[in-house]
Amino acid sequence: MTAMLNINNLSVTVDGKQILKGLNLVVRAGEVHAIMGPNGSGKSTLAHVLAGRPGYEITSGSVSFEGLDLLKLAPEERARAGVFLGFQYPVEIPGVNNVYLLKAALNAARKQHGLQEVDAFEFLTLVRDKMKLMHIEDSFLSRGVNEGFSGGEKKRNEILQMLVLEPKLAILDETDSGLDIDALKVVAAGVNSLRSPARACVLVTHYQRLLEYVVPDFVHVLVRGRIARSGDRTLALELERRGYEWVAGEAA
Amino acid sequence: MSESLSSRIAADFATTAGALAGAPVATPRRRAALETLTAHGLPSTRDENWKYANLRTLERLRFVPAASAAAATNPSVLAADLPPALPGCARYLFVDGLFAPALSAPQVCDAARVTSLAAAAPLAQAAALQSAAWPEPQSVDERFLALNEAFATDGASIHVSSGSASIELLFVARADAQAGASYPRVELSLDAGASLTLIERHLSVAADNSFVNSAVTAQLGRGATLQHYRLQELGARAIVFDTLAATLAEEASYQLHGISTGAQSARSTLNIRLAGEGANLAMASVALGDRQQLQDTFALVQHLAPRTRTAQTFRGIAAGRARVAFNGKIVVANNAAGTDSQQSLRGLLAGADAEIDVRPQLEIYTDDVRCSHGATVGKLDDHMLFYLLSRGLEPDTAQRLLKWAFLQEVIARISLPALRREIEARLPGALQDTTLRALL
Repeated sequence: MTAMLNINNLSVTVDGKQILKGLNLVVRAGEVHAIMGPNGSGKSTLAHVLAGRPGYEITSGSVSFEGLDLLKLAPEERARAGVFLGFQYPVEIPGVNNVYLLKAALNAARKQHGLQEVDAFEFLTLVRDKMKLMHIEDSFLSRGVNEGFSGGEKKRNEILQMLVLEPKLAILDETDSGLDIDALKVVAAGVNSLRSPARACVLVTHYQRLLEYVVPDFVHVLVRGRIARSGDRTLALELERRGYEWVAGEAA
Repeated sequence: MSESLSSRIAADFATTAGALAGAPVATPRRRAALETLTAHGLPSTRDENWKYANLRTLERLRFVPAASAAAATNPSVLAADLPPALPGCARYLFVDGLFAPALSAPQVCDAARVTSLAAAAPLAQAAALQSAAWPEPQSVDERFLALNEAFATDGASIHVSSGSASIELLFVARADAQAGASYPRVELSLDAGASLTLIERHLSVAADNSFVNSAVTAQLGRGATLQHYRLQELGARAIVFDTLAATLAEEASYQLHGISTGAQSARSTLNIRLAGEGANLAMASVALGDRQQLQDTFALVQHLAPRTRTAQTFRGIAAGRARVAFNGKIVVANNAAGTDSQQSLRGLLAGADAEIDVRPQLEIYTDDVRCSHGATVGKLDDHMLFYLLSRGLEPDTAQRLLKWAFLQEVIARISLPALRREIEARLPGALQDTTLRALL
């Protein structure tokens, strides 16, 4: 099977400092990859670069997504092509209703695929359905985007957006951080509900706890801007036992 | 002010004084106003509160009233050009400063007495109110009020004795500035405990380059409540100088909502006196400038009695080469103990050549006060923008949505749903989705 996402020798600098150093990663449809690593190893940079956040300089390498040169696309084009970034720190936007954002985002994706705008009634039925899965109250719809949300609510909102948009590739940047165990299970259920042979998921995480609920096909350890070791889910357990020093020491 | 400008005002007054005799302003008051103008002139950009105003434009304007009785009784203003009627509101329409009964929809209401100023003697207290309104006699900030006083042709006198009323005043500017000026005038008086919702709307029909000099005076009695919406939607080349003076008695409550989007050059001068203990002002305004527009506001709020409160919110957006200015001055007098005053002034720069000036000023003469103020000018937030783009929104849509969000703090306070929807539809907002709203 051809790769959905093919990251080849990617090097990235931020403010002149090299963060990613020749990173390689192949993700095929249907797969869930976990990217783990110590603080500062470049995990979030990788997630942001894939989503097209400004402020990163690509010094070498390429990224193709479904045959498209991903790095040439604007952020909104990547989103409409089916790439979704779940933010580590979702942004509060007072004054913009959650429901408006959801509908605008869904319609942008539908337009891309030559579909008509979604009917308001059908849309609300769909959203309320997904909200139930994410344990989100109805009053959420008319609130500002992430406005006054707790950390857990923000993360559940990210997953709700993902469920509504049904991306081909979801990149979840530390979606598990700051969640208590109940919220973690809700988030995991949301992610699992979207697993399918046609979709893929990259979980960026610091701890292996999320991986007990969203079981990955592959685990990669990112150290100093490179993938230092790859394996199956048992690698995450081994990391938990031995700590990142173990891989970092090997990679040095 | 140049010699030629004051002599032109005097000359224009001389040619029209005969036609203006009597209502709505008594001749001695007109003459007094003219004397103030000829002796002291109109403000200049050297005057402290006028440095952003576009005063040069006055050099090429005519001051004679454009109003003609024929136009008002047989107006070519088409109903189709007017905004939709607001449910439950009586409408009074003025064309170039003259009452147009044919286009008005008055409602008989026990609570309020609405009179065309030209048809009735003006309220007796109006003169006294005006001269007491400014901190120093013959302040330069009240000169445009004097100009209105000298040339006013008509206006609305609204007196609410008890109960509540809802009234819409539409001031339609139709005349080319070369034909003369329009002098809208409103005199409000609310007796103790009375309540009024007033929509005051200025718009252009036909010519888009009218010269408008509007004046509003308001007197709120003890415990009276005024909900006042001021919409400035004049044509793209219009020039407007506006003055509002309000005085609040004990426990009176004034909610002032300003939405200024129109005109080439707009200046609004507000003077609100919290004269009675416990008087309360909530003032929220929006000004939008694009192209080469100027939106300039000077708001003076005077706390003159104990336990008075002000909450002032301003949101301005400047795009293109526009300039948006808001100068909010709050004075707390030495007897105004227990005053609470909050100012939140924010500007959004949406164009590389645009300019925004927000300036909070506090003058406090007593110790027992709580005053806070914040003033910021910035661009759209990069994090917010990227968040929206990462969800697939077009950059243009994302920017409009964020501008919309920026204004929401003011717009959300509009408590008349029909008016709010109409205003929202014309803001640089996005995603007008009435079906969605209806379903929620």
